[in-house]
Amino acid sequence: MGEMMGDELLRIENLHVSVEGTSIIKGLNLTINRGEIHAIMGRNGAGKSTLANVVMGHPAYEITQGTIHYKGSNIEEMEVFQRAREGMFLSFQYPAAIPGVQVGTFLRKSVASVRGEAPPPREFRKELKNAMEQLSMDRSFLSRYVNQGFSGGEKKRLEILQLLLLQPDLALLDETDSGLDIDALRIVAEGINSVAQNTGCLVITHYQRLLDLVKPDVVHVLLDGKIVQSGGPELALKLEDEGYDWVEALA
Amino acid sequence: MTSYLDASLPTRSEHLWRYTPWSRVHPTKVDELPSVGELVIVSTDLEIKTSSKMNIQHGNDIARIFLDEVVEQTHVLTPGDGISHIEIRAGGHAVAAHIHIEATQTSSVMFHLSGEAEWVGLWLTGNIGSNSHLSVGLINELSSESILVRTDNWNVERDGNFELATLSLGGQRIKSDIRTTLSGSNSTHKQFIAVHGHGTRHDDHHIEIHHQQPHTNSKLVVNAACDDRSHSVGTGALTIDDEAQHTDAGQVFRNLLLSQSARAEAIPELEVMANEVAAAHGAASAPLDQMQMHYLMSRGLSKEEATAMLVEGFLVDSFVEVRSDSIREAMQTRLTVHLECKLIG
Repeated sequence: MGEMMGDELLRIENLHVSVEGTSIIKGLNLTINRGEIHAIMGRNGAGKSTLANVVMGHPAYEITQGTIHYKGSNIEEMEVFQRAREGMFLSFQYPAAIPGVQVGTFLRKSVASVRGEAPPPREFRKELKNAMEQLSMDRSFLSRYVNQGFSGGEKKRLEILQLLLLQPDLALLDETDSGLDIDALRIVAEGINSVAQNTGCLVITHYQRLLDLVKPDVVHVLLDGKIVQSGGPELALKLEDEGYDWVEALA
Repeated sequence: MTSYLDASLPTRSEHLWRYTPWSRVHPTKVDELPSVGELVIVSTDLEIKTSSKMNIQHGNDIARIFLDEVVEQTHVLTPGDGISHIEIRAGGHAVAAHIHIEATQTSSVMFHLSGEAEWVGLWLTGNIGSNSHLSVGLINELSSESILVRTDNWNVERDGNFELATLSLGGQRIKSDIRTTLSGSNSTHKQFIAVHGHGTRHDDHHIEIHHQQPHTNSKLVVNAACDDRSHSVGTGALTIDDEAQHTDAGQVFRNLLLSQSARAEAIPELEVMANEVAAAHGAASAPLDQMQMHYLMSRGLSKEEATAMLVEGFLVDSFVEVRSDSIREAMQTRLTVHLECKLIG
């Protein structure tokens, strides 16, 4: 990767993104440094998931203007799998089901791809066991097919299990809290916190309750494809109390 | 019985021969009855008895008439408990064999077909006796130049249970005609077929399941993943006689199209004479799911690795209900090795 400025992981400048000709992101700027947790909040359709997907490199999203730099390099031409191997991770809002592929096989191959070599089997089993215990996941998960027939909560736990195993430099967490009950939310939040110290995190959420457990350094409000307000954790509290109308008025 | 040279040749208007004319899978020319050698059949864990050719009632289908004349003996298997592994090796110009299984208990038989013969004729027959359970797996790993003509005739007696799994990976041109008759009440048949089309491979599976008695059950799953300029054909003929009340039967054909030039046909057909039955069929063809690809690639898998994983998952999914762990695992292992060679290199 290119030359980094300090601990900067992600730098987005004047980003404009379209999907099938429809403009979704309209001039977005954002910088995330290692060790920082940034939360993005906003109404449905504001462009939150588009932001996560375009940073990860989803081919359906077209960058029409602006740049995304990751670890100092412009990544517009970088394939999705190369971004993952460079330490980028997206926890999907709606993870895809992969029939016929067992979770254990998938995790082993994914870890081997991202780390550049297959982990020694015994060490990997131990690592996996510890991570699954941390997330209160039963071992029977490993023989199930990836996300097939999973409840919403099970899908999100599997996403966070991958976060723990892959130990990314930049974690994009797209509504990881949706579909979780209070206990599951606490477990998932502990998982996020355990990797957040050495990671840059972008947490996309609708709810303050996740941010009670995963403390953001910066909260951004996304409206109509632009960040219109940024502040500390108190901004999330205000949004929870007052909604988005006041931000819209300011914008 | 009609001799081959007197038999009338099928036209392409016949459902069975519409996509793969007999002339394309005959070892020489259709008006010839060439000399055909014997397939080599070996097993380290099951005695194979060879006898003069059994008299099997098979109707007047041209492939069976042909095989009945060119094959001179029958290899008879009477499997015991547990799994028996049978190697079928094909060498030389044209080779064929008739293998018959008599199932009288709970047994599993795993066939592995390999070799470089130009033409291979395989005729499998079997009787699953009352209250017996038979699981059969067949992995076709013939060389990329071989032509395979496979015909099956299976009969399942009262309370019998028969499952048949096919993993079709090898050969250039394959015509399989697999027929099962549920002749006893409360009998069950499940059939699973996974096909990987690559290169210019042409793989045609025709599956007939005939319910003759009440309270019989059948299920057919055919998953074909077609790459390059390959062509997969799946035709089903499900017949439920008027006596076969309270039958439950289902057929599903799925095709995964991996290239613009790959082709796949999936044609399930039903003939239901009874009125108190559940009979369902479905067919679908689609390219790789881009959301699945993106998910796997976001976990560090290259495009080739993600494709291989999706294809493997798609084909493994056809075997998910195979009751015999040994057969299911053997097929998955061969499939993984095959796809690593073909799709990742």
